[in-house]
Order: sequence, then C-alpha cells, then structure tokens
Amino acid sequence: MNDYESEDTLFHSLAKICGSKNITIDPQNLKLYSNDMSFFKGNSPNLITWPSKTQEVVKIIKLANQMEFSIIPVSSSSKYRHHGDTIPRKDNSIIMNLTKMRKVISIDKKNRVVMIEPGVTFEELIPKLRKKSLRLLLPLYPTGTKSVLTSVLEREPIIIPRYHWDTSDPLLCTEVVFGTGDLFRTGTAAGPGTLSQQKKVGQAHVNPMGPTQFSPYRVIQGAQGSLGIVTWATLKLELVPTVQKVFHYHSNNIEELLDFQQKLVKYRLCDETFILNNLNLACLVKKTRNEIEDLANSLLKWNLIYILAGRGDLTNDKLNYLEGDINDLMGDSNLEHLESSNLIDRNEILECTNNYTSEPWRTRYKCSYQDIFFISNFENISNYIKKVELKYPENLGIYFQPINQGTSYHCEFDLYYDSKNEKETKDLQGKFNEISIDLMDSGAFFNRPYGYWAKEVYARHIEETSIALRKVKSIFDPKNVLNPGVLCFDE
Amino acid sequence: MMQLNEEEYQMMIKRCLRCSICKWIPQVQIKSQKYATACPAIDLYNFHPYSGGGKIILALTLEMDRIKPSEELRDIVYKCTECGNCAIACKFLNTLEPLEIIMRLREKLVDAGYGPMPKQEAYIQAVKKHNNPYNEPHENRIEWLPDDIQIDPNAKVLYYVGCTSSYRRKEMAIAAARIMNEAGVPFNILSDEEYCCGSPILRVGEINTFRQVLNKNLDVIESKEIETVIFSCAGCYDTFKVDYPLYRDYEFKVLHTVEFFSELLEAGRLKLTKEIPLKVTYHDPCHLGRNAERYEQWDGDEVQIMPLISINIPPKPKKTGKGGIYEPPRSILKKIPGLTFVEMERIREYAYCCGAGGGVKSAFPEMAVNTAKLRIEEAEDTGAEIIVSACPFCSTNLQDGINSRGSKLKYFDISELLMMALGLEPEKLKQILGEAA
Amino acid sequence: MLQKQVLEQFQKIVGPENVDDGEVMTNAYSYNWCMEFVNSMEGKEPLPFSSIPKAVLLPSNVEEVQQIVRICNKYNIQFKAQSTGLGPWNQPSSDNCVILDLRRMNKIIKIDERNLFAVVEPYVSGAQLQAETMKVGLMVHMPGAGPQVSPLASATSMNGPGFTSPHTGHSARNVLGVEWVLPDGEILKLGSTGLKNNSDWYIGDGPGPSLRGIMRGWAGAKSGIGVFTKVAFKLFPYPCSTKFKLSGISPNYEFEIPDYMKLYVIDCKSYNHLEKVFLKIEEEEISFICSHLSSYGLGAIFSNSIESLLDKIPIVGMKVPLVVLIAARTKREFEYKQKVMSKIMIDFKLENVIGSKYNPNSLFYAEALRSNLGLHGFIATGGFQSSKGQCDTVKVCLKTTKMSIPLKKKYIKRGVIGNDFGEGVWITSYESGHYFHIESPTMFDQTDEKSVKGMAENMEENHQFDLIKHLGAPFFVEGDKMHDLFGPEMMNYHIWLRKIKKAFDPNGIADSGFYISAK
Repeated sequence: MNDYESEDTLFHSLAKICGSKNITIDPQNLKLYSNDMSFFKGNSPNLITWPSKTQEVVKIIKLANQMEFSIIPVSSSSKYRHHGDTIPRKDNSIIMNLTKMRKVISIDKKNRVVMIEPGVTFEELIPKLRKKSLRLLLPLYPTGTKSVLTSVLEREPIIIPRYHWDTSDPLLCTEVVFGTGDLFRTGTAAGPGTLSQQKKVGQAHVNPMGPTQFSPYRVIQGAQGSLGIVTWATLKLELVPTVQKVFHYHSNNIEELLDFQQKLVKYRLCDETFILNNLNLACLVKKTRNEIEDLANSLLKWNLIYILAGRGDLTNDKLNYLEGDINDLMGDSNLEHLESSNLIDRNEILECTNNYTSEPWRTRYKCSYQDIFFISNFENISNYIKKVELKYPENLGIYFQPINQGTSYHCEFDLYYDSKNEKETKDLQGKFNEISIDLMDSGAFFNRPYGYWAKEVYARHIEETSIALRKVKSIFDPKNVLNPGVLCFDE
Repeated sequence: MMQLNEEEYQMMIKRCLRCSICKWIPQVQIKSQKYATACPAIDLYNFHPYSGGGKIILALTLEMDRIKPSEELRDIVYKCTECGNCAIACKFLNTLEPLEIIMRLREKLVDAGYGPMPKQEAYIQAVKKHNNPYNEPHENRIEWLPDDIQIDPNAKVLYYVGCTSSYRRKEMAIAAARIMNEAGVPFNILSDEEYCCGSPILRVGEINTFRQVLNKNLDVIESKEIETVIFSCAGCYDTFKVDYPLYRDYEFKVLHTVEFFSELLEAGRLKLTKEIPLKVTYHDPCHLGRNAERYEQWDGDEVQIMPLISINIPPKPKKTGKGGIYEPPRSILKKIPGLTFVEMERIREYAYCCGAGGGVKSAFPEMAVNTAKLRIEEAEDTGAEIIVSACPFCSTNLQDGINSRGSKLKYFDISELLMMALGLEPEKLKQILGEAA
Repeated sequence: MLQKQVLEQFQKIVGPENVDDGEVMTNAYSYNWCMEFVNSMEGKEPLPFSSIPKAVLLPSNVEEVQQIVRICNKYNIQFKAQSTGLGPWNQPSSDNCVILDLRRMNKIIKIDERNLFAVVEPYVSGAQLQAETMKVGLMVHMPGAGPQVSPLASATSMNGPGFTSPHTGHSARNVLGVEWVLPDGEILKLGSTGLKNNSDWYIGDGPGPSLRGIMRGWAGAKSGIGVFTKVAFKLFPYPCSTKFKLSGISPNYEFEIPDYMKLYVIDCKSYNHLEKVFLKIEEEEISFICSHLSSYGLGAIFSNSIESLLDKIPIVGMKVPLVVLIAARTKREFEYKQKVMSKIMIDFKLENVIGSKYNPNSLFYAEALRSNLGLHGFIATGGFQSSKGQCDTVKVCLKTTKMSIPLKKKYIKRGVIGNDFGEGVWITSYESGHYFHIESPTMFDQTDEKSVKGMAENMEENHQFDLIKHLGAPFFVEGDKMHDLFGPEMMNYHIWLRKIKKAFDPNGIADSGFYISAK
C-alpha cells in the first residue's frame, strides 16, 4: 500500500468508528495543528478526528496499534494552544480532538465533586458550578475556551495553596484509554462494580488513589497524552464563599512579601494567594497596553495578593478571626505600610481569581509571550529572578505561586514580545532558550517539560528517571502510538 | 503475688504484638529524636530479638521448639540490663510483662545448662565462696569503715552496706554512715555477718543460689531485732524490697538512703549550710526507680464477660513504676543551697539505664560502658556540671562512661553531695568548686 | 542459612555484626502480629510465624541497600524490607528470602521549616519526628498504627489513615521527594530529588508523569517494588499551643491540656443524621479529629484497660457517636471554631456529652496530639485487625457499616470475635471531608485457634461481601490470591499491576507475598 492508499484506508477505518463528518483532511485545518504559540516545530497531522464517545476513542487507539499511526490528543477548543505538546512529531499522525466529548456528567454538591469529559471548558463549567454554589480549584485566570481537564492533567498550578493537598489536585478519578486501547478507570472508580453499581451504594469517586497498590492517575497526569487518553475525570470542588476580601501588598523587596505569604500559607489563613511583578499584575487586571503600562508604572515591583473568604452566617466571625490573626503575624514588620488600598479595584482582582478570560491575559501586553515555568523551593527564588532579569530585563512578567500547601513554588517568567516583529521574535527565541537552559543548569525543576525543553530537562535528571518512565511507557503504550516523542519517549 | 506463674508465662509469650512500643519510652513522653529510645540492648545491637518484645518472641520460639537452647540464644538473652524500661512502655496500654519474661527465660536457660554467662557464673562462685561477687576476702568487708564513725550495736536501724559499697565504692558507704552520724541516728552494721544480697545472682537466673543467700541474710537480720534497714545501694534495696518477699516474708522496714535522708532533712535533723552553686542532674537508678515497686497481692477473679473478653475483678495491679523512689533524691538536691537542678529527658519511670545491670557489667563490659556513654551524653546535653545518682553500680558504670567518653562531667553519689552541703567535706567541696570555676 | 559465599558478600557490605543467619535470629524474625490468621486464610496452620528468612541484614545507608539488592539479584535470593516492622506485611513469603531490617537508617535528614516538609529515613518514628517538628510549630501525619511506627513506611509502602486526617490528610498524598532502591538495584529519586544539580526534596512528581503512581496506590506495595530509603513529606501547622507537659507516672499521666482544644462527643442517633453532621462539620474546615467510632470503640479510646472501659457508661451507651476535636493556634481561631460547632449543635439538635455527662482523662488530649489512639484497640482481647478499609464518600462508609452488621454479628454469635454489636467501625474524614475511609476493627484472641480461624473466615467473608456489594476494595487486597479475586471485577487492574512488577522487578527479587507476582 502506498501512502495515499494507506491514508485512504485510515480515513475509511476511522469513518467507520466515528462517522466521516467527524473527520477532516482539510489542509487549512491540518495546518492549524502543525504549530502553536511556542517555538516548537513539528509536522502536520494527516487528519483530525472528533470522537464523541469513549468507545470511539478505544477503537481509534486500537486501530492505531494495528495500522501504526500516531495519535495526538487535543481537548481545548481554544486556538491558544501553547508549548508544543499537541504538535505531531512524526509522520503518519492524527489529531484526536476531544472537544465533542463535552458533557458535564454530574455535579455532586454534597461530596464536592464534578465529573466531566475532556471537552468541557472553563467558560462552561465555572458558571454551571457557581449556580450550585460550587467552585473549581482554578489556575490563575484561565482562558475560557481551554479544556478544564487538560489544565488539570497538565498540572497547571491552582491558586489556593491550602486546598492543594497533593500535586495532583484537583484531579480525582479518571476513565482512561491506555495506549494499548484498553479502557481503565482509576482510583475508586475502578470498582468493584460498574459506575452505577458504585453510585448505588453511595460512592462518588472522590478517592483518586488506587486501585489497590498503584495509582495510575499519577502517571497519566503530566504525560502530555502519551500514556492514555482520559475520557472523563472527577475533580475536587470547594464551596463558593459568600464574602471574599482581597488584600494587595506591594514592595520592592520580594523577600518580605514571600516571608509574609509563607506564614499565611503555613497557617492556612488565606484562600487564593500569589505574587506577581508589577507588569504581570497589570496584565492580569487590565486589558489594553496603555492601561497595563499605566498601572504597572504606579505599582511597586512586587505584588502580593491574598484573599480571605467566609461562608454562611458566621462569615464575619471568620473574617474577623482571620484578619486579627494576620495582623498579629505582621507584628512589628513594615508590612502594614505596604498595603495598597486604591491602585486596583478589588473586583478586578476577584474577576481574575473567580472567573475565566476570553483571551489569555498573557497576550494582552504585546500580543505574544513565551513562558518559562518550573518548580522551586523558597530559597532559590531570588537567584532565579536575578538570572532571568539579567538576560531579559524588560517586558518581563513574573508570577510566583505557592503550591502543595506551601511546600514549593510554581515560578513563571513570561517573556512578552511582538511576534509580528521578526527580529524581536528571533532575539526572543534565543533568549528563551538561553534562559531556560541557564535556569535548568541552576537546578530549577522543570516538572512539565514541554517541546524542546524535554531533552534538556531529562539530561539534567539522573538517568534512572528516564529509564523508569520508559518502562511505564512500554506498559501502557507499548507501540508508542500516543503522542510519540514527547517527554523522554522516543519519536 | 502478681509475679508471673508458668501458666501466665505460657499465655503471655503468645501475645506480643511486635509493635515495638517496648523500644521507646512512653510515646507521649518523647521530647526529642535523640532521647526517644528506652532499651540499651536494641539501641546497641539493633536486631529485633534484643528488644523486650524480641525476647518475648524468643521465649515463644523456644517453648514451641522452633529453636533449641544454645549459646546463640543465651548471648542475646543475657545482653540485657533488665532495666525494665520495655515493661513500662509496654504497659502504657498493654498488659504484657517483658521484664518478667526475660527473667524467666534466663531461668530456663540456666535449667537447660546454658545460662548464665561464664563471667556471671564466676561471680556466683565468688559469692558462694566469699559472700561477695568481687572475689574479695570476706574479712575485708568492713575495711571501708573509718574509725570515727559511730556504730551502735543496739540500734534498731541497720545500715546494709552491700558488696559494691563495701569493696568498690567505699565513699558511698562512708558518706551514708557520716550523714547518719550527723543527724544523730543510731545505726548498726552487720560487719562480717553481711552477705551479698543476691541481686546479681537473681538477675541472671540462678534462683537456687539466690534463695540460699536470701535466707542467709534474712536469718541474720531477723536475729537482731532490727526495725529498719537502710540501703545506699539501689540494687540491694530493690532485691530486699521487691524480690525477697516473693520467697520469704519479713517484718522490718526497708528504706533507701535517699528516702531516709530526705525524711531527716524534712524533719530538720540535717542542716544544709554550704552552697554548691553548680548545675546538677540526677540519674534514676532502675533498681531505685521503676523496679523498686513491690508486687501487689491480687486475689481477684478473671471473669469472662462475653466470649473472648475477660476482666479482672478487682482490676489486677500492673507494675508500672508508680512505686519507684523518684521524689526524695530530687527533693534533697533541690534543698541544697545554690544548686541548680536540671532534668534529663528520660527520667523517673522511663529513665534510661546506666548499662550495668542484669549481669551485663561483668559479662559484656563493652555493652555496659557504651550504654553509660549514651546516658552521659544525655546528661551533658542538660548543661549540667555534675551527674549524681544513688547506686554504686550506676556510680561505677557512669564513671566508666565519663572516662571513656572523655566527658567533663563529674559523678558523685547523692550522699557525697549531701555531705558537702552539710559542711562535712569542705576540702572536697572547695576542690569541685575550684574545678568548676 | 545462607551459602557461605553469599554470607561473606553480605558481611562485606554491612559488616559481620550486621548480618545474622543463625537459627535464633531468623526464627525470631519469622514472627509477627496477625501472621496466625494470615496463615489461616492461606490454609496453613494458624501459627504466628511466616517462612523463616535466610538471614537478617541491617544496612545503614542507601548504598548498602543497593549492594544487597544487587547480590540478591545475582544469587536469586528474594528480599523483604521492613522499617518499624509491625504486622504480617513485613514477613517473607518464601524460604528463599532475606530480611532487610532498616533500623540503622534512622536519621531525620531535615526538617524544612520554611518549605514545610521533613525528610526522613525508614527508622525514624512518628513520635520522634513529631517531637522535633513541634519545636518549629509543625506536626507530622501519623497513621492509626501509632506514633511508634515509621512515617516513611506509611508514606511509601503501607496504608495511611490517621486520626488527625481531617487536618493532615493521608500518608500517600503527603509524599514529596523519594529515594528508592528498585528491585533490580538501581536507585530512583523522584521529582526534584532526581535533579543532578541542586537536588532537593520539595516535590516528588515529574518531570512528566509522576512515578509516585508506580510506587504505591491507596495501599503501598509492602516492599514488593523495592526499598525506600528516604522520603520527604509535607508537614502541617501544629494545631494548638506546642506546650506538652505531663506529670505523674505511666500510664496514669496528667496532661496539661494546651490552650485552645475542645472535645465534642456527640450521639447522632442514626447513620443518616451522622452523615449530615459529618459533612457539615467537615465543610466548615474546623476539625483536627473527626471520627465515627462505635460506642464500644469510643469507650476504648478513653480507656487504658478493659476494666476502665466499663466505667464509660455515658459513652458506651451512645447509638451513633461522632468524636470531634477542635484545636486552634489562637484565641480568635478557637472562639470562631467553637461558634461554628455551637451553631451546628443547635441546627442539628445535638448534645455534647463532654463536660456534661463525661470528662475524659487529660491524657486523652496528649494521645490525640501524638496519634496514639489507635493502639487502644488492643485493650480488650489483645488482638485485633481491621477488615474493610475502603475509602470514598461518607455515604458508602456508612452504608458499608450498616450492611456489614449482620455479617459481623454472625461471627460474634459464634464467639470467635469480640462483641462490638457488629457496629465496630472507625470512619474518619480526610482533608476536611473530601473523602472518608472505613475500617472495621475486629477483636479476636490470637492465642485461641478457634478465634483465629474464625477471624480468618470473617475476613474472607468480608472481602467477598465488599466485592459482591460493590463497596470498594478493602485494605487486604494484596498478594496474588486477593488480586486475582478483585482484579477481574476492577477493570482487570491486576494485569497492569503485574506488568509493572515485571518491568521493575524482572527477576522477581522483591518478595511479593503482599504485593503481586509477575507470574
């Protein structure tokens, strides 16, 4: 069979599974998937398919094992794909677009859990949950068209550290089709019994651990779709507060803000909390470049945001206790002079912590950005700031997010640039690579190694890490049909 | 008596949970990682059978014929100071008696011809021959006694000196005697009628010999119309107080010098006139502390209240160290002018052993001194300049620990310190204050 | 006994004083709690002994562990690693196995006050670590097995429910960096611990997929997937004042109850009502301890002997009790939490028996802070073990309780297990009520063959019951037999677990008696 014939066979085989209207080979469409907002360069897929049922996903993956093509899963309907993880690296790849699997399967207020399919976006889910007085554990101001499940599977940091009990939060149970085409359910969803039998006895799939002596959800998460395709997942929710009180402190000394924030997190006093530099806070709350510049200029360099929240009849009691305890923690420090009460409308901040944005807030300043993000402990943060600022002093947005109940920080450097300016873009690309490598060499832990980073990241880890991960890959996707080439897996 | 009978022993050795509680001081008393452990044997030798629970398992495996008596078994069973800390920890919630089981296990090894250790056998022979385990001539027993000490042959109070104070730690005997003279307490001593109390024999499982010396001692004392026997040796005290009544009742009262001197201080019969402006910590001897609790009579019934669940009516008393002598030595030290008293982390009923007991000092001298070094380190960590105790065995071993560790700590028996505070040892006091300065 | 050449190689690695293949030592290491009913379940004589290990080794560091594991691979000898060593899971399942007793690996590598985690070796106990973390105002999650056991074992290899779970979560979910000797002798370091440069312990996931998912699940692999030599896990704010002062003599200590603690013991009267109350209290995020125990179990946690249990009439007469301990760092926090509790008490028409009908000894509070309450389960018959062990919603936990009462009663009637009216369970909330687990502590007499056999039957029938009624997978689903029973009803997970075993332990060297064999 020549290439054309095999493509034709593939089309027909897939059409049998999910209907020809759910497949396209339109070059315009395909081209969209050959690149994204990152510098990563890959191939164009052979086709795009939109399954709408788990069984279709199963069949497609089984077909891929038979016919030896690759599948790159995509869940967001957003055009703002980034980081290169959905760009095919091999010929003979198809995009499995999961946006038609967009059911919110169940919302369970009592057990604070929601079950969703991969195509469900933030713009759909946030309002639906709010109606039931529930809230998702959100990343910082997510883009509305982004898949909630993708965000969770990619371990985007959530902004309420005290609810971040485990790196995997808010991901709970999943239904997943492994690279072998086998359907599986993780956590308590594995059984015994079918989902409805489990529901009958009162289970709600809120325990992600297991089944029994392994926890496959942990290897699926962070795998960039290379081990299995998740067809639904349950996510941990929290109750919507009745009152939220926003606090904004700014300073030119990040240490004093980090110290204070650490206490807030240690004693679980605040809900959302993060630190942004002036440019990033301005990007977050303002829309136009001028507004952003004006606000950024009026802010001191480092900005700590934290939110106190209360619910129900005793809201005021709770806020009084929290504020009183926080004042005591401030003690004799200089902090109370650093509170900014009028530079930003508190509702503007709440909008960013409670809601989604229609366009990524990181594109507001110069239309384009490349973000460098990794995990660090507290001690190295200042060193990393120095390193990045030395190489990219202007147009630099910075974001620090305590995660895992304050045991580490998501550190993010957003390099803003104008992608229409070729020279600027070229320069930026060089800087991006240089800074990334420099940070890796300094011990920054790139736990989400996308695109070109992956090779460099694994080279800086003990060899046993890659060996162990390849063993995992050989178990769940022995024929390497799922997103081949990502992470430390061979193309 | 509450001591284990064979039936209880057989039942109890099946009940170890292997929870390892016995390796630690009571969980709620743990104040640091460094000083959390209870048992010198498991601390030093690490394999589980060295722990209290481990020895219960050994007892079971032996009874079930899974293992045979052997030198391998003997060496493990005898590498134990029988300090009883495991038993305190176990009985925080449980009802097992690891110390009793260890003692019984030693008896069984003796019966099987494997116990005690050769060096222990040697000192037992010495006791048989010379009435002391040091192989010293019996006639030298009274050599410690200075001419100026007043002895009253008609006194109702008897000072039982013990072998170690008589031959090895004479300063303790002298101090005890002088303090009684200072307080005007008439006392007598047994002189050449005093024999080894039998403690080192009992602890290694030689019950038959122990019975003989016990009878010998009681016969002598009972022939003299003695009302109170005073001991400066914690080992002799414990043996008389706790172990003798299991074999033979007696009428006289037993007191350790710390109890007696504390009473004399309270009664104003001793006046502390000299300042000792030093930081002092106190080591609770196992024989004076947790183990100095008498077995209580229990004539109750075990009543099954439902299948598998029985209760004792009235509740069966547990030996938990509550009868130990903890407060008197502390009270004495706190009364000494200028003295700053500081506590180690492991004290009272869960005090860490000095390492000398259970026949270890003679059979496994290295284990003894290594244990003492651990205890000395704990004392050093309090910032104390002086460690005191109230047992000649602890005295010897802790001083060996100090020397071996190269520690700056000084060791004194509590009665020596008391003598200084009473102004009876001005030169010695001057010397230690000079050294401290 | 080991072959001479193997013994010599082990001696070279750990020193001759740290290897023992003698009859006495190896026999002693074949004993463990609950082995008798595990043997009974396997159709063997109900004795408390497992297979006898060929030798016991005491390595002192990761390099020694690695070398031992390599020798095991070379000579085809299995190994079983144990930390504090409580329970049958520490026992070898064949006579071709050496035990690695990790007792000499007992260092607290660090307590990172700033980044809120601790790094420990296997033989650091929970109480030891707690004593040190308290000094910086932090606490450690300890499992129900008690403060004397190894938090490393709980985090990496065992299960991890604890009485303080509303506040401190579950052992498996608190794990950060890990150092792990794989069954083939390679050393794997998870997350940031595996960085070649600037390695640290602050996270255990990635780069990319998290190998924590291979390391363990709801239950740990019980040494079946290698040896864990260091682990980092999260620390939590100490819930109240760190003053910890006792007086008196063991076990009758008086505890100076630290500022800002209050105990509630509430009779919810029915399981339906309990569910609502449980969820409400946990939604409010105020509890340090929030557990349902049967009235008997509740009486036990306030007693230190079977006799003293009998004077707890106001407690043991309760129908459906809930015990809630609130603790606070400041007066404001304490007042707020009490206000919330008061409101719940009014809204749900509840009464707190503490202070009105019953006051526990002050020592209860010390034991609660030290996670010592689980050990009270032993006071009645001396032996107990839990059946069940499922974890999901409070609803399924309560349903399991109710549905299992007749089953338990059957064995009570036969007189082979202790009588707790069939209601004896422990249900605790985790992470402020996001999930719950149930276990059914069952008293038996390990010295009575009839009771042991009955306990084994009871355990097996419970497993079947949970399987058929879809109540979730219990704790004891481990070992080939159980995996082969549950796997087909649970997405054939056992097939995947076997593949993992095969990939990571190609020579089958890590003893799989309580894990799974590659077959």
